[in-house]
Amino acid sequence: MAQTLKINGTEKQFPDGEMPASISELLSRMDIDQATVVAEIDGTIIERKKFSETDLTPGQTIELIRFVGGG
Amino acid sequence: MDKLTIADKEFTSRLFVGTGKYASNRIMAKAVEASATQMVTVALRRVDIESENDDMLTAIDRDKYLLLPNTSGARDASEAIRLARLARAASGINWLKLEVTPDPYYLLPDGEETLEAAKVLVKEGFIVLPYINADPILAKKLQDVGTATVMPLASPIGSNQGLNTRASIEIIIAQATVPVVVDAGLGLPSHAAEAMEMGADAVLVNTAIATASDPVMMAKAFKLATEAGRYAFLAGRAPMSKTASASSPLTGFLRDDR
Repeated sequence: MAQTLKINGTEKQFPDGEMPASISELLSRMDIDQATVVAEIDGTIIERKKFSETDLTPGQTIELIRFVGGG
Repeated sequence: MDKLTIADKEFTSRLFVGTGKYASNRIMAKAVEASATQMVTVALRRVDIESENDDMLTAIDRDKYLLLPNTSGARDASEAIRLARLARAASGINWLKLEVTPDPYYLLPDGEETLEAAKVLVKEGFIVLPYINADPILAKKLQDVGTATVMPLASPIGSNQGLNTRASIEIIIAQATVPVVVDAGLGLPSHAAEAMEMGADAVLVNTAIATASDPVMMAKAFKLATEAGRYAFLAGRAPMSKTASASSPLTGFLRDDR
């Protein structure tokens, strides 16, 4: 049974047992430097220092956000 | 150059620059350096989860440049507040360019929503620099709720039209108790100089530099124009008159007629 996370508006399915356990694990699997990212889980901001200790559970909505050029 | 103080921070440069629309991070970094700015704006966007992400923050020396995250993309107060909190979590600082632009065509700011967001964010300890229409009443309301500046637009964002709102910005400057930063629409160094000559405390420029043929040289031109305008304001302009006033003596001409 696949498990789902909604990441930046896209439903991502993970085979059972393969869902990342934390924001840290999710970022490293996506090859994203966690020092440059801010995360929200179900609308709550997760501090960067808590990326590794915040458990992910199926069905959550995750936003991964970073700075880009802007005026 | 005399110093500009915003909140508790002193700036020797009165030119703030945006980091959007550059062809590359490398050119952006060079233009930022040539501008001699001490504050750069950045935006927040979703990480692209399908392809590789370019990290623009590595191109900005944060010891030299204060980051001013913006709330671009926010269409109302609640979206701006959410972006502000994310920006603080991402940057570790509480400076914020507050912008609420529900209209995608002219990108004009919504004053009502901006004021509402400003009230909340000031209470949360943000140093709020709001981007607004050149509306003197709104500017007063914002400074009264504790924003660190007001930032009236010269003309629509990225339009390069120049200081179309001059008369209203003059009133804002006359009434301001916080620094006035002219933001958006300045297309040429002469526009920046004009704003500074009027008594604006600073200008914020992005598109005019980033999309010039030579952004690095244009950044330098804006630096010089901003400084020239500030010096002219401090020097006090000479009086204007409808008729000529000879610069050379009107006596001792080399002729005999009277």
